[in-house]
Parts: sequence; structure tokens; C-alpha cells
Amino acid sequence: MTEPKKLTTIQAIILFIALILTLFPIFWIVMTAIKPPTDWNASPAIWIPSEPTLVNFMTLFDPDAIRAYGVGGVSQAATSAVIGSIIASVTATIFSVAIGLFSAIGISRYAKNSKWTPLVILSGRMFLPAAIAVPFVIIFSNIGLTDTYTGLIAIYVAITLPFSTWMLKSFVDDLPREIEEAAMIDGRSRLMAHITVTIPLIKGGLFATTMFIFILNWSEFLFALVLSYSNINTIPVQLAKYVTATAGTLYGVQAALAVLAMLPLIVVGYYIQSHLARGMTFGAIKQ
Amino acid sequence: MRQHDQGKVQTTLRRFDEGKLSRRKFLRDMSILGVSAFVANAVSLSPLGAVKAFAAIHGAEERAWDLAKAAAAKAEKKTLTLLIPTGSIGNMTPYVEKWKNELGITLEFIEEPDEVVHTKGMQEAVARTGTYDVMMPTAMSYPDWIDAGVIYDLTEWTEQHDPELFHPEWGVVFPASHHAQLYNGRVAGLLNDGDQITLLCRSDHLDNPDKAKTFEDAHGYKLDVPHTWKEYYNLAKFMHNPSEGFYGSLEYRSPYYVKWMFMQRLISKGRLYFDNELNPTFNSDEGIAALEDMLAMNEFLHPDAFSFTWSSNYNAFGRGEGFMNIVWPSGYKYSKAPSTGPATTGKIRATVMPADTLADGTLLYAGLFCWGYGYAVSRYSANPELAYAYAQWMTSPTISADAIPYLGGYSDPYRRNHMLAPTQRLVDTYSVEYLQTLYDNMVNTVPDFCLPGGFEYQDALDREVNACMTGSKRPKQALDDAARAFERITRRVGREKVLKSWLALSKNLADPIRKASGADKW
Repeated sequence: MTEPKKLTTIQAIILFIALILTLFPIFWIVMTAIKPPTDWNASPAIWIPSEPTLVNFMTLFDPDAIRAYGVGGVSQAATSAVIGSIIASVTATIFSVAIGLFSAIGISRYAKNSKWTPLVILSGRMFLPAAIAVPFVIIFSNIGLTDTYTGLIAIYVAITLPFSTWMLKSFVDDLPREIEEAAMIDGRSRLMAHITVTIPLIKGGLFATTMFIFILNWSEFLFALVLSYSNINTIPVQLAKYVTATAGTLYGVQAALAVLAMLPLIVVGYYIQSHLARGMTFGAIKQ
Repeated sequence: MRQHDQGKVQTTLRRFDEGKLSRRKFLRDMSILGVSAFVANAVSLSPLGAVKAFAAIHGAEERAWDLAKAAAAKAEKKTLTLLIPTGSIGNMTPYVEKWKNELGITLEFIEEPDEVVHTKGMQEAVARTGTYDVMMPTAMSYPDWIDAGVIYDLTEWTEQHDPELFHPEWGVVFPASHHAQLYNGRVAGLLNDGDQITLLCRSDHLDNPDKAKTFEDAHGYKLDVPHTWKEYYNLAKFMHNPSEGFYGSLEYRSPYYVKWMFMQRLISKGRLYFDNELNPTFNSDEGIAALEDMLAMNEFLHPDAFSFTWSSNYNAFGRGEGFMNIVWPSGYKYSKAPSTGPATTGKIRATVMPADTLADGTLLYAGLFCWGYGYAVSRYSANPELAYAYAQWMTSPTISADAIPYLGGYSDPYRRNHMLAPTQRLVDTYSVEYLQTLYDNMVNTVPDFCLPGGFEYQDALDREVNACMTGSKRPKQALDDAARAFERITRRVGREKVLKSWLALSKNLADPIRKASGADKW
């Protein structure tokens, strides 16, 4: 094992700048989330609030909380948006990764003569979402899926499945097929060989893919916006609604919801960070 | 209007007619009963007698309520769902209980970001979910929505139930009464928001004797609110003091908003957007001059002018970072309230938009009616009559006067009585002077692109004006490119359709603007 090289001064500076650029938006969102309304849009900008407050977080679940600062107009709690995001994102991620996993195994192990299949699957992701949103609205309204979680989950699965398939295919490709054959020689069926051997061996990629797909679903805006009326709501759509006639854009409340939305990603990301680099590069870094 | 005992009001009216109440006591009693100051005052002065006058002013409200009662009684669906822009609910929530308690109708609000409301309406045209009963778009949405079949033509209902849109004393102010409610002469929606831009100045700086003397010495006329665009420029330059964080003006240069600054200047020069054959006319000498005026002003603008949204603009002015601002009436409300305008409360003087000098030397005052929400009725509503009744009730002279001052809504004055016979609450919210300014400005307003494809025209113009302001295109090039984009939109939407709508729109403009633009001869 080789010793890591020391950073040169130039490399250290570049790394430092990259770090600042990466962390600044997070810093700013967190600071805005604990600023009172007077500080949200102050000029010159207030970097660190002199009187930090949790009122923005409280407003997410009690719209009247912000009135303590003379700001009104928030008409609904963010509870339904948080629950809606969890329902839609978690369910869609499970379906997307599950279907993508078996597609990946199928393509990697059994589709030797259809070299176009992976590309055709990926082409489903090459449409601009805005271009397919309205046709989906028409189709969904005809079959009663607008404004339902079933409809939203279905479309989330449809738009993330190409990613999950491609990401997982790279991990399955990377796994010598002889290992599965050995399991079959030991008496396991093809399916059981994949379940007991293939899947455990690519669990790192599976975690990374799940995380990636979850992030896509968690932050999706357009389809949630066009398919929602009154029954479904998600965090990105709710974020766009924090505008009031009396106070304009409620930056602090938006930031509070954004912080809340980041938390699950940070927690999960922390636990699977060792798998992320490999997963996020679509398996480009081979073992 | 707050809930009041109808019987007690009738008794008070009768007693006043019988001479048993003094005018002072009558006004006080009516006030106690929740009748607005405007209504009580008009009734007390009416030659018809109090009972008849009260019935006349309350007519639109009462007729709407009767219709609502009848429609609610036979409605199987006891919910009325409203598609509204986020931030507008404050004008509607005070009446939710009344509708629930007296009609058994639950008002359910679906809030969408304001820029999404038009899209949601067009989406409903294909999805036909029937989710919405009442929809609250801007006037620009009506043509596309009517053509797409998503909203009702309200003409027959308005003829039957008379919302008194054009009443000489409490009708919607002309020409907004026409361009913000009608499409090809038919009623498409009922206006509930008098969006127009006016000019705000900091009165404490205007009243400063040292500044007054310096200004007068330099320019040869008194320091005052600007009456012309030239004076506006002079004032911005004079007051501009960036070292103190105080800027000449806060007018918008940001994408989405900058088109309105151009459109305002263009119409001040007597130019409309098209000629009588729908050829774009803004890429003319007047249009170029308008852009050059804007470029010259850039030097004296707030540094955030290129990124302002309506709310960040209001915030900056309220913090005292500029001398002038071009804003919607909500901006005045915002700057007047101590909580949102700590540096401007009590220090604002407003005026109509500055005039420009025409070739013949006359001054043309033209205002811009931009945005402006209204109520439309969805064709897929389960209870369209109830939805219409809601729209008429909310926009009636009496209820609207009560609704506008509530905080947390976009509704601004739009009927004559809101501005010329305001209730005390309207006065407290806006001030008598500003309400008069709104009226004076509104009578000369030219609308947005309230045409089929209106949003597309606006976006195309906005992109090019913004490109010019950011220096990537010269004025002539930007406007020629916008004109080409307009031609493409016209071809796609349908020339005959847009032309018909444009001619109908331009027929109902103030006479000086029609004359200056030549539209009086179309």
C-alpha cells in the first residue's frame, strides 16, 4: 500500500476553494433558517444572525408562529409536504431499484445479443421532463391517476429506472460470472444464485444507487407540480409556495424546509459514504 | 362586509327615512352594524331614500348571495374549490366562516405559485379533472383559457345577476373594466385586483429645504415628484448617493419584470405594441428611445435592480435604500406599513406614472395595468352557478371594499368607490391621496398583452429587453429580434384570432392614448 502524497500548496488552495464553494450554499441555507424575518433579506447581508431563532422551523408546522414577527400569510403547514415526499420518494426508490436491479442482471448476464437494450432504456431519460409532463397529465387524468400518490410514484419510477438500471448494470458487469456459476454448480437455481450471491456482492453499488435514485425522487419538482392538485404535496412544490403578499418570499421558512429536506440525505449519505464514490461514478472505478 | 344583522340594518334604514335618526347617529349605527363607511355615507346622501339607496349599492352583493343560496341548496358537492396564487388567501379567508355557516359551503383553496396558475389552467383544459370551481388568473389568461374551453363566458350570468361592473359610481374603473375583464367584448372574468404601477418618491427628501434649493438652482424648477420622464431622470440623478447606500431609483431591470419598465415607457411615448394589422410597433424610434432611456437610467439604479423580485424590491425600498420606486399598489401598502417599511412609513409621496412629450409638444400620461387577478369559473366545475355567485359576491362594491384592506392578499383597489369613496379601512391601508393617485393613473392605463398567446408575447419581449439591459444586444437589434419572435407567435397562435382580440382591446383605451397611437382611426 502506497503512502498518500502530501498536497502541494496550489492543490491545497484549490481544494480549499472547492470546499468553500461547496459548503457556502449549505452554510447560507442553515444561517437563513435560523434568522428572524428582519435578517432574511437585509442589506448588507447578515451572515450570522445576532438573535438566532427557531421560528422558521416552527412555522413549517404551525403557520401562525411567524406572526410573532408581524409576518402573516402562511396558510398551510408543511406536514403534508414532508409526508408526501417520504411516501413518494421512498416507495418510488424501492420500486425503481428493485426493477432496475433485475433489469441490470438481465442485461448483464442474459442479453448478449441485444447490445442496444441498455441504450434504449437510457433513452427514456433523454426526453426533457417539460416535454412529457403534459402528455402524462392527459394519460393520467384518463386513467384517474392525477393527484394520486400512485400516479406520482409511477412516474418517478419511470424516470429513474434508466439510471438505476445503468448504475447497477455496471456493478453486475464488474462481478465475475464464475462466482454465480459456482453457486449453481452447488445446486442453486439461477434466481437463487443471483439473490444469494450477486446481490450481496454488489451491495455497495446497491446502496449508492438507492441513494442516488432517492435524491432524484426527493428533489423532483416538475412532475409533482403538474400532477398535484389538493391530495398530494411534496417538499419541492411546497418550497415554491412560501410567498406571501405581506412579506414577499419567506426566505427563512424556505430555508428551514430545505434544511429539513437535507437531513435524511446527509444521514443516509454519512452511513453509505464508502460506497458512494464508486456508485456515483457508475462503477467507473473498478476494484 | 362583516356579518351583520340584516333586520337591524333594515330597521335603521327605515328609521332614517322616517327622520327618526340624525345623519351622524345613522352613520354611527350603520358602522356598528358592520356596514362600510362608503355605503353608509352614500346611503345617507342619496336622494332615493335610505332603503332604496342601500338596496342599490348592496345590489350586486345581495343578488350574488341569493344566487349562492339557491345554488348551494341544490348542490350535491358542498365544497367550492378555488385555484389561487400563493400569497393571495388573506383577502378570502375572512369570509370562509360565513359561507360555511350560512350556506353550508366549504371553501377549499388550492394555492399555486403565481407563475404556475396560468399553466395549471391550461393543464385543466386537457386534464378536465373538475378539481377547480373558481380559478384566479391574471387578465392575461382569459383569452387562452376561453379559447381552450376551460372557463365559462360569464356574459349571460353578468346580464342576469348584474355585478355592476360598469356602474358610474361603483363600477370597475374604465378602461380596466374592459381590458381586465372582457375578451372580445364578452365577460371572461371578474376583476379582484387593481394591479397598475405608480411612482413612489421619498417625501422626506423632497421636503428637505437644502435639497430643494440646490435642485431648483441646478434645474430651474421646483423639487417635486416627477411629472415627466425627463424630470424622473433628473431626480434620480440628483438623489443618487451610492456612497450612502441611497440610490436614485429602484425600478426593475430583472428578468420577468423588466418588460414592464419598457412597456410603460413605450406607451408613454404614444406607441402601442402592435398596429392595426398586428405588426409589432415597438421596434420603432419610440421603442429604441425607450430602451435608451432605460440604459441611461441604469447608472442611477439600486445595484440589485438586475435581480429584484417584487418582494426583494419592496424590501429594499422599505429599508430606505432609494429615493424612487415604480411599484404595484401592494408596494405602497408595503412601504407604508411600519413593519415592512421601517424607513419609508409616513415618508412616501406617490404620483401617476410620468408623462412623455409627443411630437406635437403635448404631454401624454399613460399608465400600465400589469398583472391584475380576477375570478373565472371553470367549465368543469360541478357547481358553476355557485362558483359564479362567489365571484360576484367577492367582487361586489361592498364586499370588495371590505376584503381589500385585509393583510396577506394581493387584492388592490379597482372599483371607483374603492378610490373615490373609500371606507376608513381603505384609507388607513392606502391613504386618501394615494387612492386618488391610483384612480388618476388607472383611467389612463394600457393593459398587458391580454391576447391569445399573451404570456408568450410578454416572455419574448422580456428576453430581448433584458438582453439589451445586460449589454448583450443593442436596442435596435433587441427590438427587431423581439418583433421577429412576435411574428412567429402570431403565426402559431393565429393572426386573425389575435388581431380580432387586439382591435377589441385597443378600442377600449383612454382617448388621449388612442389619439396619440393612432388607434382612434383603426
